[in-house]
Amino acid sequence: MAKRPAVQPALHKVIMVGSGGVGKSALTLQFMYDEFVEDYEPTKADSYRKKILLDGEDVQIDILDTAGQEDYAAIRDSYFRSGEGFLCIFSITEDESFLSTAEFREQILRVKNDENIPILLVGNKCDLEDRRKVSFQEASDRAKQWGVPYVETSAKTREHVDKVFYDLMREIRARKMEENKTSNGKGKDKSKKKKRICRIL
Amino acid sequence: MAPPPIVTGLSPNEGPPGTRIKIRGENFGSQPSDLTGLTICGMDCLLTAEWKSPNKIIAISGPVKGKGDVIVTTKYGGTGTCNVTFRGYHLATIGPMKESAVWVEETPMYSWGRHSLSPSSFQQEDPLGLSVEETENKISEEDLQNYFPGKCGDIGSPNFSPAWFLLENHHATSFNDMKAGLIYLIRKVQHQKVGQLSFLKANLNSVIDQIDTLTNLREKYDKDLSVFGSTPTIKLERAIKESEREARKLFDDVLARKDRAEKTRNALNVLQRYKFLFCLPCVIERNIKKGEYDIVINDYMRVKNLFDKTEVPIFREALNEVEKRIVDLQTKLHVDLQSMPVTVEQQKRLIRYLISLDYPQDAAWDAIKSRWEHITKRFKEIYNFHKTNDKSESAKKQNSASKYSKTQIEIISVPACINFIDEICAVTSELFPDFWKIGQAYFSGELQIKIEAGRQVEYKHMVLTAIETFSKYVRASIIPNTLDKSERAQYGSLSSLERDEVALYLPELLRSVRSTYSTLIQLDLPNEALDIIGGLLVDLRIHCMSILFQQTTEQIKQLTENWKISFSGKYAGVTDLPLKFLMLVEDVIQIVKESALSAEQRESSLLDNASAQKELERQVDNILSAFYTVLNNLSSNEDYDDCDNNSPVVSQLIGTPVGTHKTSGAQDIPTWEHRLLITMSNCIFTKNTILNDVSQKFKETGFTSIDAPIKTNGNKLEMLEKLILDKYLEQKSDPLVGTIEPSMYLGRFDWDINVLPTDIRPYAKECINNLINVHSEVNNISTGLLNSILVKIVETIAEELYRLMSCVQKFSKEGAQQARIDIEALQDVFQDYTSDNAQGYFKEALAHVPNLDGAQMALVQDILKQCKAKMKTQILCLKKR
Repeated sequence: MAKRPAVQPALHKVIMVGSGGVGKSALTLQFMYDEFVEDYEPTKADSYRKKILLDGEDVQIDILDTAGQEDYAAIRDSYFRSGEGFLCIFSITEDESFLSTAEFREQILRVKNDENIPILLVGNKCDLEDRRKVSFQEASDRAKQWGVPYVETSAKTREHVDKVFYDLMREIRARKMEENKTSNGKGKDKSKKKKRICRIL
Repeated sequence: MAPPPIVTGLSPNEGPPGTRIKIRGENFGSQPSDLTGLTICGMDCLLTAEWKSPNKIIAISGPVKGKGDVIVTTKYGGTGTCNVTFRGYHLATIGPMKESAVWVEETPMYSWGRHSLSPSSFQQEDPLGLSVEETENKISEEDLQNYFPGKCGDIGSPNFSPAWFLLENHHATSFNDMKAGLIYLIRKVQHQKVGQLSFLKANLNSVIDQIDTLTNLREKYDKDLSVFGSTPTIKLERAIKESEREARKLFDDVLARKDRAEKTRNALNVLQRYKFLFCLPCVIERNIKKGEYDIVINDYMRVKNLFDKTEVPIFREALNEVEKRIVDLQTKLHVDLQSMPVTVEQQKRLIRYLISLDYPQDAAWDAIKSRWEHITKRFKEIYNFHKTNDKSESAKKQNSASKYSKTQIEIISVPACINFIDEICAVTSELFPDFWKIGQAYFSGELQIKIEAGRQVEYKHMVLTAIETFSKYVRASIIPNTLDKSERAQYGSLSSLERDEVALYLPELLRSVRSTYSTLIQLDLPNEALDIIGGLLVDLRIHCMSILFQQTTEQIKQLTENWKISFSGKYAGVTDLPLKFLMLVEDVIQIVKESALSAEQRESSLLDNASAQKELERQVDNILSAFYTVLNNLSSNEDYDDCDNNSPVVSQLIGTPVGTHKTSGAQDIPTWEHRLLITMSNCIFTKNTILNDVSQKFKETGFTSIDAPIKTNGNKLEMLEKLILDKYLEQKSDPLVGTIEPSMYLGRFDWDINVLPTDIRPYAKECINNLINVHSEVNNISTGLLNSILVKIVETIAEELYRLMSCVQKFSKEGAQQARIDIEALQDVFQDYTSDNAQGYFKEALAHVPNLDGAQMALVQDILKQCKAKMKTQILCLKKR
C-alpha cells in the first residue's frame, strides 16, 4: 500500500477460495486468531492482515476470505485479480465441494492469466474421518495433475493450518523473487512458465 | 500502558452505509468500557460499536465512501493502527441511469448512528439537475391519476410518464429552467455514454461473454426455426399448457386431499384449543360426583368469562350443555342446603357455592327458612311420637294383661311427657343454635348477600315463634294451667302426671330446660326471645317448688308414730316423730333450694317473685298444718284400745275389775294415757324446738316470709297441747277424784264416830298412791310434764276434799281429829305440787272441820308424825328433786 511507510515488510496476498461451507473462514480465523467458530455465517468478503515471521523474515500476510456461495460468483473476478496465492479449499466430507475446486482453479487461472500462480489444494475437515467422502488418494491425484501440493487440514483441531498458509507464502515469496529477477531482466518469460508446467507434468 | 490496539481483520471488508462489521484484532481492552473510540474510514462509529472480546468488536458502518482504515482507541492502549481497509460505497449511486459492476446488497439497509436516514438523503437526484420544489401547490396524486390513467411519475417504473413527472416535480418551474434542465440531462446522458464506454472496457470479458451467449442463443434459435418451423413457441406453449393440465390433474386430487387434511387439522386445532370448553360438561359432572364444587365453580366462572358473549353456535351449544349441568348442580345444592341435618358450616359452604353459581333465588334465606321449618317439624314429630307413646301407654295401663305390651311398657316406663320434654329440650339445644348462627351470618353480611328489606322482621318473628313454640310445648306438658284453653288444646294433650311422678322428674326437667336456656343465652339472643324462656323457667320453678312442698306435705301426712321415746340426748322425752318431720322439711328445703330456688344465669331469685312468695307461704303453711293434723289425729285417736284400759288409777278399794294385761298383739302400743302424754310431749317439743329449727332452716335457705305460718302453727300447737292436757287430766283426775268419795265412806264410815284416830284413813292413802302412780306414769314419759299435770290433779283433789268436807253434816270429836289428820297429811304430801288454788281449797276444807283443843291437837300431830314416818317412801316420791 502506498500509504504505508517504506520499511513495510513484504506483503503476501492470499485468497481463500472454495464452495460455501467448506471452512474457508474457519481456517482463516484459526490461523489469525487461534479460534474456532462453530456457527456458520456465510461470508461476503473479509480482509485480514497480520505480521508473521516466515523463515526468520518479517512478512505481512493479507488474507482475503471470499464468499463461497454461487450468488457471489459474479464478483469473484475482481477479487481474484489482486491475489498472489490461492488456497483452494474443499471439504473431505462433501464430494461436490471437491468437484467445484476445478472450476475455482479455472477461474483463478483465467483471471490471473498465469499458469504458475501459487495454489494449494486443501482438504478441510479432516477431523471428520468417519464422514469422509473424498479419499486422500483421489485428492492428491488431482493435486498432482494440477502440479500443486495437497494438504489435509482441520480448522477445528488446527491440524496443518499454519502449514498451508506458510507453505503458500513460501511459494509466493519464491515466485516473487523469481519475478524480480526476470523483471530486472526482460519482462515476463513465458517459456519458463511453460517449461515449468512441463516439468510438473 | 497496554499495547496499542491493532485491527487485523474486517468482516466484511466493504459495504454500503449501515453494514454490520466484525472487527478483529488485538488489544481491544479487557472490558467494554475500555473501548473509547472507533472510526471507520474516518467516521466516528463508537456509538454503534459493540465490544465483544479483547480481539473482537462489532460495529455498523456510517455513510462513508471509499477505502479507509478502521481505527480502534482504548483507554489504556491509546489510538491503534490498522492493517486492513474498509471500503464504503453508496447504493444511491446506483440508479436507472447508472451501471454498477459491484454486487448490490438487496436486503434493506438499517439506519446507523444518529444519522437516521432522512427521506431526502436517499431521494433520487433530480434528473434535470433542478432543485426540488417546495411541496406547496402540488397537484394531488388523484388528479394526476386522472390525467394519466395507468401511468406514474416514478422514474424507475415501466409506466413512467414524463408529463406526470414534470407536473409533479416541476409544476412551477420556468420554461428557461426547464430548458437548462434538458441540456443538463442531455449532457448527463452523454457523459454516461462516455462512462459506458469505459465501463465496457473494464468489463470486456463479461461483455464478450454476453455477446457470445447471445450469438449462441441466436444460432440455437435459428436451428430451432429450421427444425420446428417458424412458430415454435405455439407448439411449445401447447405442450406447456398440456403438461400444466396434466400436472393439475395429477395434483388436484392431492391438493384436494391436502385441503381436507388442512380443514381437519384446523378443526382439530379448534377442538384442542377449546378442549376445555368441550370437555367441561364431562368434567363438571365428574367433579360434582366427587363433590369438588370449588373446581366446578372455578371452571364455570372461567368458561363464562371466556365464552359468555360468544356468537359461535358450537360454543353456544357447549355453553348450554354446561349451563344445564350447572342448573342441575344448583338444584342439587339447593336441595342439599334444605335437607336436614346439615351443619352450619356445610350450609354456609353450600350458600357460597350457590352464590358463586349465580343462583337466582336467595339461597341463604332458603337455608334459614328450611332450618326453621326443620325445627318446627322436629317439634311436631317429637310431640306426635310421644303422643302415640302416651296413648299406647295409657291404653296398656288399662289393658295391662296384654302380653305383648311388656317390653313396651318397660321402655316407656318413664312418663311420655317427661321424655317429650327431655327430647324437645335436647332438640332445641341442638337445632336452635345452628338456626341462629346461620341467621347471624346472613344478617352480618358474612354470606355476601344483599339482605332484602323485611327479612330482619321476618327472621325475628321466626326466632320468636320457634322459642315460643318450644316454651308452649313445655308448658303444656308440665304446667298446662299457665296456658289458655285454645293453646292447651293445640300443644298439650299428653296425659298429665301424678304428683309424685312429677316431683320425681321435675328437678331433672328443670335442669334440661335450664341447659337449653343457657345454650340460648350463649347465643346472644335478643332479650325478647330469652324472656319467653325466662318466664317459662320462673313458672316451672314455682311449679317445681310447689310440687315438692306438696309432696312433702303428703309425706308428712303419712307419718306414723312408733311411740318409742328416746330418753337420752337433746331430744329426751320425745319420740322421733318430730325429728322425722324436721328431716322431711329439711330434705324438701334442700331439694327446693337445689332445683327451683337457686338462681342461675339470667334468673332472678325466685323469692323476688310475688306469686312465688305467696305460693311458698301457702306451701309452708300446708306443711306445718299437715304435721299439726298428724299430731291432732294421734291425740284424738282413742278408738283402738279403749277396751283394755288397764289404768292403775282405778280404785282397788272399790274393786273395779282389774284390767289385766291381756296383751292383744298391741304390745308396742302404749296405753292411751301414755300416748296422750307422748303426743303432748312431742307437741311441746315441736312447738318449742322443731318449729324454731324449721324456721331457722328456711331462713338459712333464703326463704324469709314464713314467720306468719310458723306463728299460726305455733299457736295451733299450743292449743293442741292444752287440749291434750285436758284430755289427759280428764282421763286421770276424774277417776282419781271420783274414787275419793266412795273410798271415804267405804264401810259406812261416818265422820261422827267415836273411834280415836290411829292413822290416816285408807282413802287418803289411796289418793296418795294414785297420785304417785300418775307421777310415775308422767315421769316415764317426760318429767317436763309433771308440774303441769300433777298440780292440776292436786288442785282437783283439794277441791274434792273441800267439797266433801263441806258436805259433812256433823263431826264427832274423833271424827274431827281424823279429818284434820287426813287433810293435813294430804296437804303435806302434795306440798310440792300444791298451787295457790289447791292451798286455798285445802284451807277451806280444814275450815269445815271443827276446831280441836290442845290435847286433841297434840294427838293429831302425833299421828301425823307417825304417818309421815310410815309413808316416807311415798312422800319421797312426790318430792321434787
